[in-house]
Amino acid sequence: MSSTQTAPSPEQKYKSKSDVVIETRNLTKTYKDFWGRSKVHALKALDLDVKKGEIFGLLGPNGSGKSTTIKLLLGLLFPTGGEALVFGSDASDVSKNERIGYLPEESYLYKFLNAEETLDFYGRLFNMSATKRRKRIKELIKMIDLDWAKKRQLKEYSKGMTRRIGLAQALINDPELILLDEPTTGLDPIGTREMKDLILRLRDQGKTVLMCSHLLADVQDVCDRIAILYQGELKELGRVDNLLSVQDVTQIQAKGLSDEAKEEIQEVIQRHSGEMISMENPTSTLEELFLNIVRESEERPGHRHIEEE
Amino acid sequence: MVVDPSEFIRFGDWFWEAIVPFLLTIVTLLVGGLVFWFVQLAVRRHPRVAVDIIGRTLHNSIFRDLPSTSLRRILAMARLAIHEALRSRVLVIFAIFVVLLLFGGWFLDVENDHPARLYLTFVLSSTSYLIIALAMFLSAFSLPNDIKNRTIYTITTKPVRSHEIFMGRVIGFAAVGTILLLMMGTISYMFVWRGLDHTHTIDVADLNYDSDRKEWTGRTSFDRHHFHDVIISNETKRGIAMTSKGHQHEITVVGEGTDVQFEVGPPVGDLLARVPVYGELSFLDRYGNQAESGLNVGKSWGYRTYIEGNTLNTAIWKFGDQATSQITSATFPDEKIPLEMDLRVFRTNRGDIESKIRGEVILMSTDPIAKVQESLPINFEATEFATLRMDIPFSDVKYLDPISAKPISVDVFNDLIVNGELKVGIRCKEHAQFFGMARADLYLRGPDQSFIINFAKSYVGIWMQMLLVTLFGVLFSTFLNGIISLKATLAIIVLGTFAGFITAIQTDDVSTGGGPIEALVRGVTQQGAETELNVSDGARDVIEALDGAYLWTMNVVSQIAPRYPEFNTADKVAYGYDISMDLLLRHLTVTLGYFMVISIIGTLILRSREVAA
Repeated sequence: MSSTQTAPSPEQKYKSKSDVVIETRNLTKTYKDFWGRSKVHALKALDLDVKKGEIFGLLGPNGSGKSTTIKLLLGLLFPTGGEALVFGSDASDVSKNERIGYLPEESYLYKFLNAEETLDFYGRLFNMSATKRRKRIKELIKMIDLDWAKKRQLKEYSKGMTRRIGLAQALINDPELILLDEPTTGLDPIGTREMKDLILRLRDQGKTVLMCSHLLADVQDVCDRIAILYQGELKELGRVDNLLSVQDVTQIQAKGLSDEAKEEIQEVIQRHSGEMISMENPTSTLEELFLNIVRESEERPGHRHIEEE
Repeated sequence: MVVDPSEFIRFGDWFWEAIVPFLLTIVTLLVGGLVFWFVQLAVRRHPRVAVDIIGRTLHNSIFRDLPSTSLRRILAMARLAIHEALRSRVLVIFAIFVVLLLFGGWFLDVENDHPARLYLTFVLSSTSYLIIALAMFLSAFSLPNDIKNRTIYTITTKPVRSHEIFMGRVIGFAAVGTILLLMMGTISYMFVWRGLDHTHTIDVADLNYDSDRKEWTGRTSFDRHHFHDVIISNETKRGIAMTSKGHQHEITVVGEGTDVQFEVGPPVGDLLARVPVYGELSFLDRYGNQAESGLNVGKSWGYRTYIEGNTLNTAIWKFGDQATSQITSATFPDEKIPLEMDLRVFRTNRGDIESKIRGEVILMSTDPIAKVQESLPINFEATEFATLRMDIPFSDVKYLDPISAKPISVDVFNDLIVNGELKVGIRCKEHAQFFGMARADLYLRGPDQSFIINFAKSYVGIWMQMLLVTLFGVLFSTFLNGIISLKATLAIIVLGTFAGFITAIQTDDVSTGGGPIEALVRGVTQQGAETELNVSDGARDVIEALDGAYLWTMNVVSQIAPRYPEFNTADKVAYGYDISMDLLLRHLTVTLGYFMVISIIGTLILRSREVAA
């Protein structure tokens, strides 16, 4: 990531550093074959900061390196180069997991346990006392609305229900940072809406959310900032509203103008005392932005210059 | 019963002898492992990165992860393993065992001379095989399944340390095995007890009454494929049904005159836990001079050596003060030397195989200036494959007075036992016949221990085998897939079981035919194993180098593998010998050693592994 920001003072730097929850520097992952020869470059020199209290979206087509990034941050994979820091600690440091919640792409849970047993098991892994576990399990089961099915083994659950219990296990420790891998996969429209509302609520509670998805509407709806990855490289990074604004076009919306005034609107709008409703750049859709980047990347492979405000 | 020479060493002596090689092995393994790890990382990444990663992993493991160990997390992992085991229908193993017991009785040899041995060997062996198979399957597939199903993602992203995952798995599977073993043990004991429990009837009309001696003699009824000869005293109103099928019965006389009846009690002596107190064995040759060993009568198995009849060829067991304390008057108020022997008989002339061979016991002093150097011989008769109990009353121990040339009674404690030491010599009295013996074949018999506790100790041995298999299974499953991990665990069992043989091949004790490559060449070129290999010098060098490397590797691995047969104490229980605390402690220490080392290796492998790769 290249930045156009001016160099911060030491105090600002300290403050901003303490705000950074996730930091990757030159993070690279190459899968190698048995003989150590490079097979797939899954992630190429990723530089990224995720700040406290924001919802950050990782966007990209299949195989772009989104899940690899999350796995590197969680210590499920080890980087081939560079570093990944979470709360200032190396990703391989297990103690960071005390403050993290993770919802995998598919809810990889033990199907022979029921909802209560599942949450109880994960609660124990956080060394929670029995009283605390019971209270938290009750809250979470109520939150995901599975009270009626809490005694059923997970193998009897629908995909949506499994997803919800997966989310509950990610929140069992009331984490400060939540990593969501394709959070709305398998959910119906209502479930999707509820998930998005929940993500926003988590942000309102001061939590940091890193989510990856290829469902553009979801990302557009909830994310404060996004990074677009393509073939392991960072292609775009910034605030969603900024990225989606069309800078070279101005859109004026007005009402109560006469036909004459409409004809001369560019020069005389104020002179004719028209009421200015808005004057702004029109926005594109995330889908359009995304497809543009993909097309551009295919035409001109390699690093893309990124400017973030 | 064959006793391994290492069993004669006391736990304390063994421990201090074993600790140095144990520590050396650990250091070698750790250094070897670190070098392998470094080379692998250095080749794939960079030597500096390798040092950084290894240093960081070791530092974090020791200074961060270890102090953060949580019993709750370990038990949570263990509970999960138990859940998982139950889901995999582990109780099927138990059901198989019950079915085996239910129908096994049909196929056991009902006319066997020692039914207790047969029953005990059957239940202990079947328990052992089933529980080891169970441990292998549970442990080898668990982590690979977690990795395959990716459930490991939701575990390693929690604050669970690698050693907690490893130990949780091991403890969980061990708990399942323990519960199953407890159930199997209880059912086995009931099966044995029910299988052996019986009684007989005695009809007074079938007995002969000797009015001079005031006792009945005769036989019991024929039940369970045997009867007993009986002697019943009319004075004491008690009698005994003599040993048959390895047991006796006590008999009580009820009633008088024509109403007399005999009540036969339950079997006695088939479920024993005898405590043998062993001495050190030395020999005198046929001329009475010190000899290194007895004679070799041509048997290839060198466990026992022989003494020749009607010569001065003598086997002498020396018992130290700890052994002779077993025969103090406090322990044996009836003042007898409780000797028991299990001699082999080798005959050089034709005759009745059932006939007994005469021998003699001589008690000797270890003090060369003692008043009594040796007692007069005390006679006995030995039969092949039968344990002979000889309680020698102190009053029967006499020596030949050199002045009067008459036999005089010996004060055993003052005249013979000096500084708590006593020697017992055995000679064969019949010309051209031989007695065979090993160190464990003659012993002082201490007070018996409880059979049930001995039976339980044998289950502890099986439990330790199960734990060792589980440890290796979980260890292999940290870096191999399920099937390969299962095969590797099986290989360790095989190598551990045949470690002695593999070492013998490597050290040329079993040299005919060479190693696998030479054997292959001989097979293809149709050359016999006894002939010299007919190939060019260069080819022979290559073959020998390959075989040497292969056998060396096998030998090293088999030395690392636990010696599973040593943990198998079924024979001791079946033959009615107590499993000594020395032996049990040694096995527990070995198991603990493996637990520590394998846990460290497994933890490091798990920590250095990319679970999502």
